[in-house]
Amino acid sequence: MSIHAVNIRKTFGRYVALENLELKVPTGALVALLGPSGSGKTTLLRIMAGLEYPDADSGGTVNFHGQDVTNTPPGERGVGFVFQHYALFRHLNVFENVAFGLKVRRKNRPPKKEIAERVNKLLEMVRLPGLGHRFPHQLSGGQRQRVALARALATEPKVLLLDEPFGALDAKVRKELRRWLLDFQEHVHLTTVFVTHDQEEALELADEVVVMNNARIEQIGPPQEVYDKPATPFVFEFLGNVNRLELTSLQNPTHQTGRPDGTVTYVRPQDIELSRHPSPDSVQVVVHHVFAAGPWARVQVVVNHTGEWLDVELSRETLTLLQPTHGQLVHARFRHSRIFGAPPPTAPHPTPHPTPPAPS
Amino acid sequence: MASTGTTLLNRGRTAAVVRDATTESGWVRALLITVALTFLALFLFVPLVSVFVEAFRNGIHAYLHAISTPDAWAAIKLTLLVAAIAVPLNTVFGVAAAWSIAKYQFPGRSLLLTLVDLPFAISPVISGLIYVLVFGLQGWFGQWLDDHDIKIIFAVPGIVLATIFVTFPFVARELIPLMETQGNDAEYAALTLGANGWQTFWRVTLPNIKWGLFYGVILCNARAMGEFGAVSVVSGHIRGLTNTLPLHIETLYNDYNLQGSFACASLLVMLALVTLALKTFIEWRHARNHAAEADSH
Repeated sequence: MSIHAVNIRKTFGRYVALENLELKVPTGALVALLGPSGSGKTTLLRIMAGLEYPDADSGGTVNFHGQDVTNTPPGERGVGFVFQHYALFRHLNVFENVAFGLKVRRKNRPPKKEIAERVNKLLEMVRLPGLGHRFPHQLSGGQRQRVALARALATEPKVLLLDEPFGALDAKVRKELRRWLLDFQEHVHLTTVFVTHDQEEALELADEVVVMNNARIEQIGPPQEVYDKPATPFVFEFLGNVNRLELTSLQNPTHQTGRPDGTVTYVRPQDIELSRHPSPDSVQVVVHHVFAAGPWARVQVVVNHTGEWLDVELSRETLTLLQPTHGQLVHARFRHSRIFGAPPPTAPHPTPHPTPPAPS
Repeated sequence: MASTGTTLLNRGRTAAVVRDATTESGWVRALLITVALTFLALFLFVPLVSVFVEAFRNGIHAYLHAISTPDAWAAIKLTLLVAAIAVPLNTVFGVAAAWSIAKYQFPGRSLLLTLVDLPFAISPVISGLIYVLVFGLQGWFGQWLDDHDIKIIFAVPGIVLATIFVTFPFVARELIPLMETQGNDAEYAALTLGANGWQTFWRVTLPNIKWGLFYGVILCNARAMGEFGAVSVVSGHIRGLTNTLPLHIETLYNDYNLQGSFACASLLVMLALVTLALKTFIEWRHARNHAAEADSH
């Protein structure tokens, strides 16, 4: 079942949570809503679920497979929702939790035997066989989330919505559940939308990534595209590590003026080559620090004429060949870079940026 | 167990007093406990014990006689009747008020919250007086009620109303913080699974608040049965008709029937003890459930 949300605008008093967006989710796709806190991704998910409604005067609609469900209550939309903190029913055991959706049906309530069969099948599918009699407080975080998944799937929803489903779990459990979700998608092809602030998760799991910031959608595309071809400075900075240059001009690499020209250049650490020999498009840099431990080597350099810092990522072999030392003058060439016009006034910096050294 | 503090004084005293830095020294603890126990003894234990001593002063037959006179019996029945009406009503009001305050944002929410606490802030005498002012013969509806021969003040309905007013906050105040802490996620989950409002309330909200609800009901009941000030203003003290148990006790006392009044008072003390026992039981059960849940983290 496809989802099409149009003209979605949501405000809470004066606070604008969503600024007039449109989103299409194809049937069977696994889509990630990725962004920092406050970007509006959870609000958008809840509007799809029917737990929030778009502003009445905005004319926003949510359509499932062409049918307008904007005014349909959540229980009738055919969605399964999984919460970050599980939201299991504490006073019911695992079996009753999973069976809840089936037992509250007023029409078409399945007979007891069938409910039991379905619940047990679901518990096996989430790899919790035989734990039906346990209570939520007797389970680990990962187990609780699996019960929450089973519960959401019990009613055979057409759309699965997950709100930071693995955020409250530790790293190892998170990896297991991610693998489970991928596996599940491959077998079932259920239209799934999940919210996350973890870019690794989004890039690993999703067919399409929707990058959101500040109540707006910045970019939509497959993981490779959002990573390799970011559409805006925000996306560039949010996904992966990036160097940001304002004073260094790549149009005139050998003649740096050190004056800003209203543009911002982004280049990823792994796209910078260092060498002892200059080339026509290389920039002079001074080596400041070398971090050699780990699978990759990192070299911190300072652009000679402008004082801006760069983080460079090199393979260990390249490092061995180059043998950079502190204070050494080398030449940096940029394999890929992107230049944007005047930078936005408030660009968030998730990557820590060292400040240029004070003039000595 | 880690001892985080040692008092090794600079002057090189080698005898180190190894003590946990976060507790008081032995004698401070002893002093505080003594003060607390003395206070409790003077203001709580001694008066309670004296009630029973006085009640049984003339022997058990006199005691049994005192609590079974027609007036005493009528007072007991009236007290039970008032509680049987006031407590269920306040439970329903309390749950409804707590639900709206904890789960929703709406204009007037803070006002409602303040109104819930109002009966606690007003002196019980005033609580009774306001009903006299509204329903009494010189009151707003006084003439209309008299024309229709409906008695509220100086009759049972007035007592019930005053008791409802005074005991209203107990259930609501108990539930509001509880429901606010529990949040709305479980209810939202139930909605997405297809439950309607009533099913959500019955199957999800109510089981989550049951211990808090029980606690609030017990306190509400204790106050409803023991209320004096407001009921005194409204009741008219008509023996055998509009005397609740607390009022009957006062009547006996004013008649210099010390033994009788203490005998009836002992009934209220026993109610208080039962209330305390139930309260302790609930807290124990709640702590046990909490420990079980906390252990699993």
